[in-house]
Amino acid sequence: MTDDIHPPAGVQSLERRRAATSLEQTRPDPSLGRVLDVDHVSITIRGRQIVEDVSFWIPKGEFVCLCGPNGAGKSTLLKAIMGLLPVSQGSIQIGGEGVAAGHHKVGYVPQRKAFDRDFPARAVDLIVAALRRKWPAKVTPEERERARKVLAKMGGERLLDRPLAGLSGGETQRVFLARAMITDPSLIILDEPTAGVDAKGRAELLELMKDISRSDELAAILVTHNLAVVGHTAERIVYLEAGKLLCWGLPHELLGQQSLTAIAFQARDHAASSIPDEE
Amino acid sequence: MIDFFTAPLGYEFMQRALIAGLAVSAVCAVIGVFVVQRGLAFLGDGLAHACFGGIALGLYLGASVEDALWIAIPFTAAIAIGIGFVLRRTQLRGDVATGVFFSFSFALGVLLLSLRTAHDRQVDVESILFGSILAVTPKVLTVVLVVAAAALLTTIAMWSRLAYAIFDPELAAISGVPVAILEYLLLAQTAVVIVVSVKTVGVVLVSSFVVIPAASARLLGHTLAGATALALLIGTLGASVGLILSYHLDAPSGATIILVHCACFAIALLINRLRR
Repeated sequence: MTDDIHPPAGVQSLERRRAATSLEQTRPDPSLGRVLDVDHVSITIRGRQIVEDVSFWIPKGEFVCLCGPNGAGKSTLLKAIMGLLPVSQGSIQIGGEGVAAGHHKVGYVPQRKAFDRDFPARAVDLIVAALRRKWPAKVTPEERERARKVLAKMGGERLLDRPLAGLSGGETQRVFLARAMITDPSLIILDEPTAGVDAKGRAELLELMKDISRSDELAAILVTHNLAVVGHTAERIVYLEAGKLLCWGLPHELLGQQSLTAIAFQARDHAASSIPDEE
Repeated sequence: MIDFFTAPLGYEFMQRALIAGLAVSAVCAVIGVFVVQRGLAFLGDGLAHACFGGIALGLYLGASVEDALWIAIPFTAAIAIGIGFVLRRTQLRGDVATGVFFSFSFALGVLLLSLRTAHDRQVDVESILFGSILAVTPKVLTVVLVVAAAALLTTIAMWSRLAYAIFDPELAAISGVPVAILEYLLLAQTAVVIVVSVKTVGVVLVSSFVVIPAASARLLGHTLAGATALALLIGTLGASVGLILSYHLDAPSGATIILVHCACFAIALLINRLRR
């Protein structure tokens, strides 16, 4: 619970907004090339505005933690970045291209693994499916070797021919990470990758994410509620609340004693509501 | 021993029955892999009963049982698309959505049959419910073969994308797979195949052709391609052996085929347990 980055129920949004504006928030160097550019994006679903005028951008190789409470609009924004939802205002550019043309440069590790655990498939099938953009009836030796190499980088080479049904939470995440990485993306989106993973698996995944974070080429967006994970990986934090961008800056600016989250944590100690550890 | 298999095929009606049985079991098994994997095992049953409503509508409009097929096909396809629409737009599970449409169609069928007068053509309801694979006419056999070939070719053409969509709709959509279109196409295609199969194996038994070979293959296959091939093998093997057995036992053919399919399922279950 103490690692939770949720702002508490009962803390007024206005108070946090005021606190946020008082914080120093360093933006990325504008001279750097942009892997992702979210420009004044608003998203409305069935007449309800979920995301309102959000702008931020990510340079090559930067590891960004996207944080915010449940209902902040994080998942909706991610879906728009991946081309699953249209934006009602503003624009999203991936590597200088619109979402339709640029979404193939994005690798995605979903939070909830929606697949049927009894689906007759091996890890190699899932990884190659991302490469082909369709399910493989037969995996070629070249595809298998490529899948093996990327899975080895995730520390899961032995999982290559294992049925997906028999994998643990941590093993499943390694396979999904390999799946996301096999297309050599310039941006990887990690949606709560430690959710449903045991403590040992979490520590191992954290190391993997730190490796991604150290990359100069690959940019990443990590959605998490876990403050420890943010502290270990984030090069910059984007914080959404009620569909709006509340702050966007360096970890030490936003996670320090007088920061937005510190204010939120102090207030939470007095709040009666219980907040789950993972979304 | 060879005579055991070849002697029944000396009759033309048995040859037609075997060809129809192989075509129906092959296409139902291949489609069944996706239907079962999508969690819609009840769909075959639901659409078969919806088909009854379609046939009854055709009869009410004055068509013969054979020609009522052409009204039952669009009627059942519309019901299938309706089930798909409810599945995508609501939180209802597949069995609930199917159950609602199944009840509506069957009730409509019973109502329409009851509205027919004594002057209308006589209808053997039992043959609609239980089928008559031994009574397949050359005309019906042609329809069965054309529909089965078209459905198999379509399924093979969309296999890779459909498999991805069934595995995880969100990941498939991100990869550019038209998930909604494929799902509606699968449902409509299943409806057409079911209607045509009803002509040979009947309303009550047709869903077994969709579900049992696919469920057996799922117990044995390590990959979806492997499971598809196994379902095809179990489906066609069950149809051939069941038909020949029914001849020698003088038993109803549809029921015997399904009992052979069930025996295959029991063996698959045993192998699955032994592997663990």
